[in-house]
Amino acid sequence: MGLVMKLKFTDILRDGTLRNYYVDGQKLGFQFDVRLGYYRGHFLSVIDELSVEVDGEKADADDITFCLNGKEFGIVELKHQFSEFWNIITPATIKVHKPGGLTAGEHDVRLTLMLHSPYMPLPGAKEEHSYTPIDSCDQKIMALAD
Amino acid sequence: MTKVKLGITLYSFTREYVSGEYTFEDCIRRCAEIGVDGYELVATQMIPSYPYISEEFLGQVNRYAAEYGVRPVSYGANTDRGMRFDRDLTDDELFARTVTDIKSAHKMGCKVMRAQYLLSPKNLVRIAPYGEAYNVKVGIEIHNPETPSTPKMLEYLEAIEKSGSKYIGFVPDFGCFADKPNVDSYYGALERGANKELLDYAVQLKYDDVPMPEAQKLLLEKNADPQVMASFFNMYGFLTFNKNPDFEGLKKIMPYCFHFHGKFHFMKEDGNEMSIPYDKILPIIDEAGFDGYIVSEYENHVSGQAFEMVKKHIEMERRILGIK
Repeated sequence: MGLVMKLKFTDILRDGTLRNYYVDGQKLGFQFDVRLGYYRGHFLSVIDELSVEVDGEKADADDITFCLNGKEFGIVELKHQFSEFWNIITPATIKVHKPGGLTAGEHDVRLTLMLHSPYMPLPGAKEEHSYTPIDSCDQKIMALAD
Repeated sequence: MTKVKLGITLYSFTREYVSGEYTFEDCIRRCAEIGVDGYELVATQMIPSYPYISEEFLGQVNRYAAEYGVRPVSYGANTDRGMRFDRDLTDDELFARTVTDIKSAHKMGCKVMRAQYLLSPKNLVRIAPYGEAYNVKVGIEIHNPETPSTPKMLEYLEAIEKSGSKYIGFVPDFGCFADKPNVDSYYGALERGANKELLDYAVQLKYDDVPMPEAQKLLLEKNADPQVMASFFNMYGFLTFNKNPDFEGLKKIMPYCFHFHGKFHFMKEDGNEMSIPYDKILPIIDEAGFDGYIVSEYENHVSGQAFEMVKKHIEMERRILGIK
């Protein structure tokens, strides 16, 4: 097990933000807000892994989008966002396409969000382009707001 | 009368800022309450329009400067070489990013910019004319485990001397002159259940400059617990300390230092820092005729004591430097 940084000065999963979203009057999925668990902001290109599990069910990567700065990205697109900056105090919204949405009440939400710190080469790393991982994962029971 | 000026890096308020307890304005107001007139900020932490300075943000900076009498003096840039998923940024790309940072530092009115060691010595020299054009001095941060005399920093020294430019140099972080274990590596570890005898042994190995692989082997042979080993890695890494800190190296690079990070982790009851000998460092800087800022950099964020600790830290520096 190598060095992994975990700096959680605030909740990563934001209370009160889990809700279903509607398209043309139909529940087409759910969404929630997340903050970056670190001390500074980052370009989205340093995100190495992002996945969502609700009530033990892992969402398909195809169905997840990441919304920030008025834009919406698929998971596979994140690594190309070299100039899209995620501020440390700005929440991003994660949307999961799921026709019918979530049922009313509480849900167990697990977020896997791994990044790397682009100015901190991993101490003792043999190969180039090996940087210290940042663990910005979170898990909590969230109540559906609508 | 000393020419040393005291400021605060808003990074000291990381926990308060990120948790939403302090706004950007609150951080600046706190600096005014402590009684300094200059601050540094980490650009990637507090500039909403990073890497650019929006008119809105500049308006805030100028309004708070007028209202509280505290202005930005230093721009903390990150040298994000690893920001791409597929490869490291090239020197050309890092150069371009650093030029953007210089322009942003200038727009905020900062005369100093902190860069990090992933900006190569050659690239630092290449940046000098831009620093001069925008009147921003660019300094490579000397951060633990580097010291002014480690090979990497000597390469910069040679490049800076050879360039003859007054616009490139160093920003030493006082953490590299620590002569005792960090408060968390020692007392924190004890609280978390580290074996005191083995922890003291780890400290002694570091004091005796036993090479890391050998020291690690010796500790593991004694079945050192994970807490002791975690402290051991810190003591040989970003939170290292030495029986004889590199004061001679500091004296040698003083002509190329235009800014300092007054790193600290804990202010003791007697008004001194726990592991960094300010009473020895500050006179060296003062006697060299240093005319610039030392910004207090508190790095024990989880404590929730940032304001009180920074206040005590500034009081200590004033006492040592004879500033009223």
